[in-house]
Amino acid sequence: MAKNIDLKELDGKIQLMKKTAQELKQMGEDFPALYRNINRILASIKMLELNISDLTAI
Amino acid sequence: MISEQKYWNPVLETLDHEKIRKLQFEKFKKIFSWAYERSRFHRGLYERAGIKPGDIRSFEDIRRIPTVEKSMMRGIQRKDPFPYGDALCVPLEEVSEFRQTSGTTGQPVYQADTWQDWEWWSESWAYILWAQGYRPKDRVFIPFGYNVFVAFWAGHYAVEKIGAEVVPGGVLDTKARILKIQELRCTAMMATPTYVLGMADTAKGMGIDPRSLGIRKITCAGEPGASIPSTKKRMEEAWGARVYDHAGATEIGAWCFECKAQPGGLHVNQAFFLAEIQDVESGEYIEEPGRRGKLIITALDRQAQPCIRFDSKDIAEWASSPCSCGRTFRLIKGGVVGRADDITKVKGVLLAPSAIEEVVRSIDGLADEFEVIIDKTGDIDRITLKVEILKNREGERKLIEAKLKDQLRLKTNLGYNLEFYDYGCLPRYEVKARRFKDLREKNKW
Repeated sequence: MAKNIDLKELDGKIQLMKKTAQELKQMGEDFPALYRNINRILASIKMLELNISDLTAI
Repeated sequence: MISEQKYWNPVLETLDHEKIRKLQFEKFKKIFSWAYERSRFHRGLYERAGIKPGDIRSFEDIRRIPTVEKSMMRGIQRKDPFPYGDALCVPLEEVSEFRQTSGTTGQPVYQADTWQDWEWWSESWAYILWAQGYRPKDRVFIPFGYNVFVAFWAGHYAVEKIGAEVVPGGVLDTKARILKIQELRCTAMMATPTYVLGMADTAKGMGIDPRSLGIRKITCAGEPGASIPSTKKRMEEAWGARVYDHAGATEIGAWCFECKAQPGGLHVNQAFFLAEIQDVESGEYIEEPGRRGKLIITALDRQAQPCIRFDSKDIAEWASSPCSCGRTFRLIKGGVVGRADDITKVKGVLLAPSAIEEVVRSIDGLADEFEVIIDKTGDIDRITLKVEILKNREGERKLIEAKLKDQLRLKTNLGYNLEFYDYGCLPRYEVKARRFKDLREKNKW
């Protein structure tokens, strides 16, 4: 199964999510409900990077 | 179907050795730089050793980096930024979790984690639970109030992360917990080995066969019992469940685990941790199977209070064969076999408490509880082993005593002063047991 996984494609989508989340975070500096929830989303995105994105660099 | 997938991460868990090493190396450089740039404690330690981030060009360079011990953390804490002190790598307002060590070996160490660290904790545990066969349909009972200790908190959040259902069983007493497991038809449980056996005893006392409760998987934490074959067997027989071990520590993370194949060892999660085994006497690093040493562990992705080359004092050895489960994460044979702190010299012989546990729990007719006391008569070491005989087996005492004596001699090369008690006379423990008492002046290796 692992052979069918396109890590680069997955990483591309993860980076897109990360960029969107970071942009939202910047927009939410005066908006606690946005800022804090985005912070949690970024932590989850980091887990995707540990599981997937880090592998594209080796 | 997700539930049918064997691995939590089918890529990382089957990565070849070279790629794992490369991943570990790249991650190590990052976490080292992170700590060097942000923590006064780490920077000071590395500057005194003459090492800076640019100096790490190979695994050999990693081994030049000084290790960190628990006592060093104690020395810098309870100061600003309060209470974590100079090892903190993030502003205090980014810390979302406080945990502390149990303080078994001295003053507790405080541990700060950011929300990202907390995601990382539950991610590490998700690898464990998935490998042990936990799936979204499971209902998992955790019979503890978690307090400031990390293990069951992390297990709790990992159960949620993998999509299963978690039942926190704190505050209840043991009988109420058993009734709750029965009422909710829980399918799995996490507990210390001491409590797994204690709960089974309590259930029997209530007229309930623990095997009828439907618990089919138990993950152990906090004590080495689930890697001690005779203790594992007792737990599995009492509950009619598969019992799995894992190892972790507050300062490190949940760094290794047993998989469903139960290969007689634990997989190191090498994607998240770098585990090195070092010969205690020569300081040489051990790569080959069959030689025991102490574990030095790095958490490769932990931010707030990094764990870089932490001298865990745990004793382990690499296994010789890969696991039939297909994971390429390296196995340590028989799990963590003891702690350098616990292994002690008695009459000139090295003794690990786990060896005594293995013998006591392998003898039919003896109850689960026991106590070991080491003291001196004059200049000579003396070991007293207190055991309980099961009810209705008192008539076999001589036979049991002979078997116990033989096995102890065989497994530990030592003679013991044996004391037999009726069932229920020795102390019972709820979480971590303290069965080993060395009353001599410190004589550790």
